[in-house]
Amino acid sequence: MAAIAGSASASFARPVKAVNVSSVSIAGLRKDNVSFRLQPVPQRFTVVCAAKKETVDRVCDIVKKQLVLPEGTEVSGASKFTDLGADSLDTVEIVMGLEEAFKITVEESSAQSIATVEDAAELIDNLVSAK
Amino acid sequence: MLASVSSLVQTNKRLDTDANIDPRSFEFKKNKFGKPEILWQSDESSMEWPLHFNISHTSSLIACGIAMDTPIGIDVEEKKRKTVKSILSLARRYFTPSEVDYLAKISDSDAQQKEFIKLWTLKEAYVKALGRGFSGAPFNRFSIQLETNSRIQISKAAKVCNDSASGCDYLSENWRFALAELNSSYYMSVCIEDNSRGFENDSVPLGLKVWKTIPFIEDTLVSGTDAVKLIT
Repeated sequence: MAAIAGSASASFARPVKAVNVSSVSIAGLRKDNVSFRLQPVPQRFTVVCAAKKETVDRVCDIVKKQLVLPEGTEVSGASKFTDLGADSLDTVEIVMGLEEAFKITVEESSAQSIATVEDAAELIDNLVSAK
Repeated sequence: MLASVSSLVQTNKRLDTDANIDPRSFEFKKNKFGKPEILWQSDESSMEWPLHFNISHTSSLIACGIAMDTPIGIDVEEKKRKTVKSILSLARRYFTPSEVDYLAKISDSDAQQKEFIKLWTLKEAYVKALGRGFSGAPFNRFSIQLETNSRIQISKAAKVCNDSASGCDYLSENWRFALAELNSSYYMSVCIEDNSRGFENDSVPLGLKVWKTIPFIEDTLVSGTDAVKLIT
């Protein structure tokens, strides 16, 4: 998922742009007949990589406590909240638990897009690093 | 889920007999916020008004609300549903100040928990009726007033909505609610748009009918019996 975010966690070759291009013909492209300069520009896109493992683990713990899952139920990053049996009331309690544990505030619009534990952990990492 | 809606809608004999349409011809779609809806071809059917539906389920009950010509939202919850967090902490985080005050005044913890569940299902039913998702009608932007023997009212939360427009743009107040206890075990809230054209008093009955359904096997009208106790 691509997101415009403050923290860069993946490295890409820096995009460059050409400035002051006068007419350049491809056939005649030689170093001495082009007048543009290559300038680095600030990165405008950042891909947010997978959430930190410790965040995922903490989210799993909070989810397990809220949902009181049967012994041996596996909860991992890929686990979907709906598959775990969380209804809307469970979800808001989980969100509240995450807010308390990580000292963040989650807006309804962000909460709505969380489907898996991994989604929640990514959101948390973003909110924590934006503080 | 849509398969189960289809089966519930198909088994609703009211649609068959009153409307001369074949429920098996229903197609479903989702609106842009993800709310499931009937794909209505009004020119082809002999029904004047489009059908709306909404579904809710708890661990042991599925409820499907069906309405003609008005969006509908429904929510069911176990009456004794316990929360991990305290009622007041949940209310403070998600409800409006007036709702928090209403709950805080209830000294008995069981009674307080029940009122919380009632408010929760009413607010859910409204959000689902609006069909814009949880973020289209954040819980702390509107208040539900529950007073005994009086019509359930909804209003925009004044302070939040005056201070900032965000989140309140799509909130409307012309909605009617029904709250009932099912089988003494569940609270059910239903929300439909209010087309009563400004009548102050509740002179136009909501016309709520409730059937207990075993899909494709049996439909029993239970409204008017002890199985359905209208709270308001």
